Amino acid sequence: MDFELTDEQKQLREEVRRFAENEIAPIAEEYDVEEKYPHEIIDKAADMGLLGPHIPIEYGGAGYGSLEVAMIVEELFAVDAGIGLSIISTSFGCESIMHFGTDEQKERFLEPVAAGEAITGAAISEPDTGSDVSSVSTQAEKDGDEWVINGNKMWITNGSIGDFFVVLCETNPDAEGRYNGFSQIVVESDRDGFEADKITGKLGIRASDTAELIFDDVRVPEENLIGTQDAAFMQQMQFFDETRTAVAAQGVGIAKGALRASLEYAQDREQFGRPISDFQAIQHKIADMATEAEAARNLTYKAAWKVDQGEDITKLASMAKEFASRIAVDAANEAVQIHGGAGYVNDFPVERFYRDAKITQIYEGTTEIQKNVIARELLGKGAF
Amino acid sequence: MKILVTVAEVATVDDEFEIDGTEIADQYLNADLNEWDDYAIEEAVQLQEGGVADEVVTVTIGPEESEQTIRQALAKGADRAIRVWDESLEGVDLLDVRAKTEILKAVVAEEEPDLILSGVQTGDDSWMATGVSLAESLDFQWSAVVNDLDHDLEDGTASVRRELEGGVEELSEVDLPAVLTIQTGINEPRYASLRGIRQAQRKPLDAKTLDDIGVDAGVVDGSLELTDMYEPESESDATVWEGSAEETAGELAEMLREKGVTA
Ligand SMILES: Cc1cc2nc3c(=O)[nH]c(=O)nc-3n(C[C@H](O)[C@H](O)[C@H](O)COP(=O)(O)OP(=O)(O)OC[C@H]3O[C@@H](n4cnc5c(N)ncnc54)[C@H](O)[C@@H]3O)c2cc1C
Repeated sequence: MDFELTDEQKQLREEVRRFAENEIAPIAEEYDVEEKYPHEIIDKAADMGLLGPHIPIEYGGAGYGSLEVAMIVEELFAVDAGIGLSIISTSFGCESIMHFGTDEQKERFLEPVAAGEAITGAAISEPDTGSDVSSVSTQAEKDGDEWVINGNKMWITNGSIGDFFVVLCETNPDAEGRYNGFSQIVVESDRDGFEADKITGKLGIRASDTAELIFDDVRVPEENLIGTQDAAFMQQMQFFDETRTAVAAQGVGIAKGALRASLEYAQDREQFGRPISDFQAIQHKIADMATEAEAARNLTYKAAWKVDQGEDITKLASMAKEFASRIAVDAANEAVQIHGGAGYVNDFPVERFYRDAKITQIYEGTTEIQKNVIARELLGKGAF
Repeated sequence: MKILVTVAEVATVDDEFEIDGTEIADQYLNADLNEWDDYAIEEAVQLQEGGVADEVVTVTIGPEESEQTIRQALAKGADRAIRVWDESLEGVDLLDVRAKTEILKAVVAEEEPDLILSGVQTGDDSWMATGVSLAESLDFQWSAVVNDLDHDLEDGTASVRRELEGGVEELSEVDLPAVLTIQTGINEPRYASLRGIRQAQRKPLDAKTLDDIGVDAGVVDGSLELTDMYEPESESDATVWEGSAEETAGELAEMLREKGVTA
């Protein structure tokens, strides 16, 4: 067993930390308040080759595995979750193309993403479809050599700024079994009949773009279907190990940022003639935050490492996602408490961390769903 | 054209620190690539990308632990790195300019670069002398505190702009081979790209001893000794007001009045 990071991993982490501190920290508050998408930072991240870090080298990416991606996510989210998500999500949905796409599809879709010329999204959720993914009702019907798509997708990250979306559609309503009859189809945002409505008023991650997508007889060529027709549910499930581990890393990052801010503030702020870090009540909060962040990091790195070894880790990925998101919410909560009144306004980043942390318990499978998965794996039966 | 860039890992200090004898205690210290060298590397890499230089080589005097820092230059585009270190350097806490000059000179003799870029100074020892001293000992032309370099480098000359005291700048030309000491602000150093970081791990980083480059170990015995370390007393305090000009102008006027400044 070896817990040591390689020199390359250390260097990667350092450089991303530098980028986050120099480029993101100074503007994070502004983008949060104005709820606007950070195009200028995305351009800078593209210059650094930070977009789509897991895209294979032959398609212009860096070819990094889940562990390196987790490190990148952690450093970005330790500074700002909204902009961090904006950066890391430019390739959402591309996992399916990477694993199930044809060479032609990989070239066509992955290369522009790695180059920072295209932004993507994964469109699964619908107004009436959240935790129960098998209830997807967006329809795709074959007409000649085209797919005709109708329906609505809800809460789609990058929805109003994305160039294309990997959309989970029902292609065979008569298929037997509730997990059959779905397909993943790429829909470009410049197709006729495509519309995106930006969702505003979010509690946190306000720099990240979220939208409702409306498909009204949108026609795409049949070559836009990814992988096997009618088998997309299983395709989609394959990436939960990877994507849930990445959300776990988001939680670790937020906890790290909350801890960092708290350490600084507690040593600076004086009451009763001494720094508040002299009070045991504050010390214990800090000790708990650090311990939980370290535990979550180890769980996340282990999950990421196993994904990179090609292992199936349904339970472990859910554990990492559930635990890291929980301790992120706790850490942000304690960070505000340590800041007192100053933590209740956005002069300090902890106010933002507090609002941002919550999303990690909701998207990519809620806390309840993660626990269902863990229990199902332990008990060996369907726990939904 | 071959460019040699001298790079150093330097100690950086936390905002708050304590001095212990002639040292700053370890817990307040971090290591990083010298800020000025970052600009020198960027300038060299830009010359290479512009097709002016064929090869960019970095040289450092430092222990094995500094390799991670030195690889930053490789990740940003330098082709290979040379690291000189020796047992005899181990306990030396103040390597003087003369010793650095001798060591770097030996590397230059092996590499025969057309252009040497160094940082104006290092952030920790701040000699501001190594680049110029190296040029003198090599009998190269030099220009110090360069904040603009014309990337033509035609006819074997470099057109530079250098910063003099009091905000005065000077334009001059130096014949190659030459040493330029690079000032911050000459360019905007890039972040190492993710691909660059990957590739850097496979680029050559050669470790050499003093013996390997034909330098006598006696060179490290300097005539300088560190006798004291202290924080200088600040003679005056700067007041910084935050806010817009409208909000703060009144406060400034008030303070000037208090200090006895009258119109
Ligand atoms: C900012 C943001 C970005 C998002 N980005 C994307 C995106 O890019 N692509 C995408 O497809 N989706 C995205 N989503 C959607 C997200 O994945 C869903 O919100 C999430 O899966 C939960 O679904 P829901 O909101 O419909 O909640 P529901 O499924 O309605 O759940 C409501 C509550 O019921 C609980 N619950 C439901 N079923 C069970 C059960 N069986 N057992 C116990 N409890 C249960 C839930 O845990 C939750 O507490 C995003 C959401 C947000 C807010």
